[in-house]
Amino acid sequence: MRTIARLTLVVAALVVTSTIAQAQTNNASITATATVQTPINVAAAQQLSFGNVFPGVNKTVAAPDLTNAGRFDVTGQAGAPVTLSFTLPATLSSGSNTMPIDSYAGVRADNSSQTSGIGFVPGASNPATLSATGLLFIWVGARVTPATNQAQGTYTGSITMTVVY
Amino acid sequence: MKRESFVLIGALLLGAPLVAQGHPLTVTGVRGLTYGTVLPGVARIILRTDPANSGQFDIRGPNRSQVLLSFVLPAAMVGPSGALMPLSFGAGDAGYSQSQLIGSQVGFDPSQPFTATLSNNGRGSVFVGGRANPATNQRAGGYTATLTLNVTVLP
Repeated sequence: MRTIARLTLVVAALVVTSTIAQAQTNNASITATATVQTPINVAAAQQLSFGNVFPGVNKTVAAPDLTNAGRFDVTGQAGAPVTLSFTLPATLSSGSNTMPIDSYAGVRADNSSQTSGIGFVPGASNPATLSATGLLFIWVGARVTPATNQAQGTYTGSITMTVVY
Repeated sequence: MKRESFVLIGALLLGAPLVAQGHPLTVTGVRGLTYGTVLPGVARIILRTDPANSGQFDIRGPNRSQVLLSFVLPAAMVGPSGALMPLSFGAGDAGYSQSQLIGSQVGFDPSQPFTATLSNNGRGSVFVGGRANPATNQRAGGYTATLTLNVTVLP
């Protein structure tokens, strides 16, 4: 009889345990992860310089011209694809006088000596890829076409290059 | 002694169905929420249906029981030198699947408690996606945060 009572208690305990198990709470966690690439940076490394030009005589600075072509230096995430976009002036200005500029050309390379450089036409969307060390060098050349009566002076304009991943 | 044996067998038979129905509640983090490589200024969205990058929790509990799911969501991931990258979770960024199949989910808002029903064999899975919002000057490096899923078996 005593044993039966003991067993009854065990059964009751089982039932109680089962009931308690119905009202349980538990949790687990996972991790959210991300890796941010190196921010991109662009520096104007060299001006596009036409030097002296003469009225009525066109002058071109070729993109491969390491001395006179404009140059932008880009740093960012190694091997990352980027898009270059250019804002190119149609004229250079000297006070109220203007001088046309056109025929833009570009070269991009992984190094500042243009070794294995690739030519392209600067525009609104030019694809490129940063080097294995996260570098990209861009040169821009163009042509100026001074009129025969071009007023004397120093003419300037701004070329803007935007780089995005 | 014979009577005692009958009582014991009876008790076990009575207890067996209760135990079978009453799997202890377990919640397991199966897969992390992975944003992968992100670029400064470019938001990255992971869908809850993304089989490789969405987060996943598996739940085991009493068969066919109702459970209350509630997340503890981080506002940002922490990176190098304590840099923060904001996270946001939209109304449909979490999903529950009784069949534990990622292609068969009922979406819900992870920022709100959600009631779900475990399967006939006491199983279910929760998937979660979200959006990482790196700033344009976001510091480069690895970022992490913890998402916790609380599960309560409803009476």
